[in-house]
Amino acid sequence: MPVYEQTYRHYEAREALRQTRFWPITREALRLVLSRRAFVVLLMGAWLPFAGFSIYLYVLTQTQLGPMAQVLPVGGPLYLRFYAWQMPIAFVLTTFAASGLVANDRRTGALVVYLSRPLTRRDYVVGKLAVPLLLTLFVTAVPALLLYLVGLALVPSLLLTRAHAWLAPSVAVQGLLVSVTISLVALAVSALSKSARAAGLAFFGLLMMLDVVQGVLQEIYDKPYFALLSPQANLRLLGEAMLGGPAPALPWYLPALVLAATGAACLLVLRRQVRAVEIVT
Amino acid sequence: MSIPVEPIVSFEGLVVSYGLVRALDGVTGAFRPGATGLLGPNGAGKSTFLKTLLGFLDPDAGRIAAFGLDPTRDPLEVRRRVGYMPESDCHLPGMTAASFVAFAAELSGLPRAEAISRAHEVLYYVGLEEARYRTVDTYSTGMKQRVKLAQALVHDPALLLLDEPTNGLDPAGREEMLALIRDVATRRDISLILCSHLLHDVEEVCGEVVVFNQGRVARSGPLAELTGPRRSVFEVRVKGDPTAFLTDLRDAGGEWHDGEDGHRVSLPEGQGPELIFRTALLCGVQVRSLRPSAQSLEDVFLDALGHPPPAA
Repeated sequence: MPVYEQTYRHYEAREALRQTRFWPITREALRLVLSRRAFVVLLMGAWLPFAGFSIYLYVLTQTQLGPMAQVLPVGGPLYLRFYAWQMPIAFVLTTFAASGLVANDRRTGALVVYLSRPLTRRDYVVGKLAVPLLLTLFVTAVPALLLYLVGLALVPSLLLTRAHAWLAPSVAVQGLLVSVTISLVALAVSALSKSARAAGLAFFGLLMMLDVVQGVLQEIYDKPYFALLSPQANLRLLGEAMLGGPAPALPWYLPALVLAATGAACLLVLRRQVRAVEIVT
Repeated sequence: MSIPVEPIVSFEGLVVSYGLVRALDGVTGAFRPGATGLLGPNGAGKSTFLKTLLGFLDPDAGRIAAFGLDPTRDPLEVRRRVGYMPESDCHLPGMTAASFVAFAAELSGLPRAEAISRAHEVLYYVGLEEARYRTVDTYSTGMKQRVKLAQALVHDPALLLLDEPTNGLDPAGREEMLALIRDVATRRDISLILCSHLLHDVEEVCGEVVVFNQGRVARSGPLAELTGPRRSVFEVRVKGDPTAFLTDLRDAGGEWHDGEDGHRVSLPEGQGPELIFRTALLCGVQVRSLRPSAQSLEDVFLDALGHPPPAA
């Protein structure tokens, strides 16, 4: 069609900029991730441990199986064990969901599309970070809190005591810690690459390698401090401190400090890498 | 009496550096409403200027303002009023053109329903109505350029920044893109800054031009003034040894440059072609051809860069 016949309408109804202007970024990224059938299957599969633990809770409380109650009674350690199942699942999900979030934008030049709009770099990072955060919360804190509700329904007399008042907040905080840590690391690794595949391998490899290294060093030298090398081990230590696991090998503030430092390092990486202009000096 | 037009972009003593390298070295000037060409060789500072205007880079010194707003302080308000078509490829993998442009509109603050509606209108406007439900990854270079223009236009900016919009296009595609850009500037009342190293593109679309060279503004002004007949310039071809003829012309205040077929002679102020005939007569050469010449944009460009313009 010739240009002179084409129409163009001016847009007058401008509104004030919204505080939630990051949301379209999150929504579109989630839509792209969830359009992959394999990913949705994986996401649903991530709820199998919840089903297993619910059945276990039912059997434990509704039948008189004394030995089982001694192995894993209703309380903090049960939820700690649940998180031990969910953490690797959350890693795998995040690897698929988050590795391309920034890497693809850097590869295709889309960063400029975002940052030439009325958006700050913080809006962009928040919008992208919300994607793995929501997905990991969906497989950590959400099923853990539901599991708490299952326990509450089955043995209210036990969980509604003062001794267990800390349980629900601790379960929620542990889920949040796991999700925020995984999401931040995944997004920072994604920002360091222009290839989603390379970022995914680097993220998964980094977490696995650090966990193996700390395990090997602990085995050889028998020093608990090596646990600080691995984000998973730090999350486990904090979980134990909150949910009442075995006697803590390290004071809680040490893994908390390491995780805080990891988060700060990730934010620094994102601040450096998320730019509309690549400056090479 | 003509009413002075307020510039939409003004900059004064603007210095922008990448480490030790000064990309913009104290540039001063303004862009008025309408279509303005931003010319310059690679590394002249054109893209750096656009990025500073968008608030991507902070100036080391000086000031820049768009619509009276400082992009370093109010980048979001500036970007709301500006549409940017970058030089390099930019699309979101896996997205159709319709969803990509609607997404770009939403990022600019339009409500979702309005964003979708405008995306379709703008894709129609740039000639992608048939292909709007295809993923951008599958597009040809020309179609990708049109999508880039659509995403820059979708929020109805007051100023459009076009960075090499005809890059990679074949001649037909280039003419179509230029026609579209001309339409945006002339019929849609949207000002634009066309950043290009293709002089033809700028001549086709722009009324004014700013030439950057080595981080400075080398020339600026209305195209007609810069390229219109200046002091008398003639294409001259003579028979005989031209050495004495050209030397005498220079002694009389004229300038000349060699051409492929003769010489390009600029006469001093107030002088006409009779000076050429008189000098030729005195030097014993015969004038075989004499025709007036206007400066082309290429001449302005080369002149600004300190190179002698070639013969026409």
